[in-house]
Amino acid sequence: MHAALIGQLTIDGLLVGGVYALSALGLNVIFGVMRIVNLAHGEFVIGAALLSAVLFERWHANLFVVLPLAFVLAFGLGALIQRAFLRRLPEDLASAEATSLLMTFGLSYFFVGAWLTFFSGNFRSVPYLTGAWTLGPFSIAQARLAAFVASGIIAVLLALLLRYTALGRSIRATSQNVQGALACGVDVERVRTLSFALGTAIAAASGCLLILIFTVNPETGANVTLASFAVIALGGLGNYAGTLVGAAVIGLAVSFTGYFATAQVAQAAPYVLFILVLLLRPAGILGKSGA
Amino acid sequence: MKGRTVIAFAIVAAVLALVPQFLNGYARSLLYITVLYVALAYAWNVISGYAGYLSFGQVTFFGLGAYTTAISVTRGNLPWWEGALLGGVISAALAVPLGYLMLRLRGAFFALGMLGLAQTLQVVANSWQLTGGGSGLFLPPGSNALPAYYWTLAIGLLTFAATLFIDRSAFGLRLQALREDEQVASTLGVQVTTTKVWAFVISAIVPGLLGGGYAWYLTYVEPVSAFATRFDLQAVAMTILGGIGTVWGPLIGGVLMSQVSEMLAAQYPQAYLMIFGGLVVVLLVFLPRGIAPAVSAALARHRARAAQGHR
Repeated sequence: MHAALIGQLTIDGLLVGGVYALSALGLNVIFGVMRIVNLAHGEFVIGAALLSAVLFERWHANLFVVLPLAFVLAFGLGALIQRAFLRRLPEDLASAEATSLLMTFGLSYFFVGAWLTFFSGNFRSVPYLTGAWTLGPFSIAQARLAAFVASGIIAVLLALLLRYTALGRSIRATSQNVQGALACGVDVERVRTLSFALGTAIAAASGCLLILIFTVNPETGANVTLASFAVIALGGLGNYAGTLVGAAVIGLAVSFTGYFATAQVAQAAPYVLFILVLLLRPAGILGKSGA
Repeated sequence: MKGRTVIAFAIVAAVLALVPQFLNGYARSLLYITVLYVALAYAWNVISGYAGYLSFGQVTFFGLGAYTTAISVTRGNLPWWEGALLGGVISAALAVPLGYLMLRLRGAFFALGMLGLAQTLQVVANSWQLTGGGSGLFLPPGSNALPAYYWTLAIGLLTFAATLFIDRSAFGLRLQALREDEQVASTLGVQVTTTKVWAFVISAIVPGLLGGGYAWYLTYVEPVSAFATRFDLQAVAMTILGGIGTVWGPLIGGVLMSQVSEMLAAQYPQAYLMIFGGLVVVLLVFLPRGIAPAVSAALARHRARAAQGHR
């Protein structure tokens, strides 16, 4: 195999990995605070992606307008879902987990149906920034680079929020110990609502960036959920640094299988990796063993 | 009590076997679909209801059974029911190692592991020559509906009987024990791994057998409909509506929802997904234990009141 080709696929894979990392960060924020794996995560990603595609088709709407819009809409939708449904999960932890899985599974199909109604089943993409820069033997697609950079900026903003704001401290406290957070006067219900809303909004942001690179339709959400979950399973649940490593691995897997097999096989690649890692190292690549 | 159960069971079986003779084609197809969906819901209820391992990918085995049958008929010239039987055998044989691997995962990991498995097999069916790729395989058309119905009915009745047995047996108690707390169950001497792998095999062999009947009924198999995750959504919604982890839940939920499901899935797929997905969410909030427990509680109250009245 040609060295230049390997280099090219590596660049493409790592750039896509940035978007996967962002989507997975959203999933991880929700999991950290609520101990819920949101199976409807991919539907929020895809919903925002399709929204931005439609706005681009109709009015040539700029990414920098659509992304904040999708972020705000998804934030509101997430808060609503948490207040209306997820807040009513049973107290008992084991049955809360089962109920949350069933509930978000139901939500995911609800939104697949909703997106099919709004956006039809057509595959869409956003032909924005279609050019590429040449860098020695490699070409760097502008759309991929823009998506990567934007993902990075949002991830840094998220990190700053978690590190330096009162909300961020409450989120981290609730993730570590609910009882302790309650004892310190944290309004845990409010933190949960804001975290779910924030995670959903981040999913939407990643969707607006994902569609710069991939073509999607309403039924591709499950693949995104699987890929995002694979990223955090690889990196270890709740481990933010691990998320970046996991995302790089998934990005590379998608890029290489997409070239050497078909785009369809590439969709299954994150899943196969995910299963292999779970079976060999159940706590993730960077995780401590025995989780 | 035992004798009465057997007699009631035999009467219901006989009625369901004779009913198609008096029905037109459309009503027959509704009957077939109802029996199929109820049986699939019962199969899901074993691993996810009794054992508590939520699987969103049992359709894997349904698709496997459908494809095994289609390949046996078109490429091996076997009679379809031998192919369908083979589908069940392959599903069971695959479920044993798969169960040992997958059931090490818990919660979301298991749920997504199974969901992804179904999607991966869909990709395989789409890309493989043996399975006819994206266009699938066509079976000889003809009077396929009635044999497929009897096949499905027989498997459905067996699955119901198996659930009745599970609900009253030590095996069922072991399943429920590991659902509540796997570690405690293990401490109390439950062979946790063996028990849950058995449950998984039961939940795999049933859709494996039903898939063959479905392929014969439709006279074609293609990747999207054979591995459609909507079958799992349906099983989830119907079982929760009726009562998850109960004997009567899948029957109640399945009978109530099958017609709606069939009408919507064909004509209004968007509305179908929104209604079934939304139903799951709303039920979990307002009626998380389903209809069956509510009915039995009401019956118990009624009996208690009647007993008091006699005194």
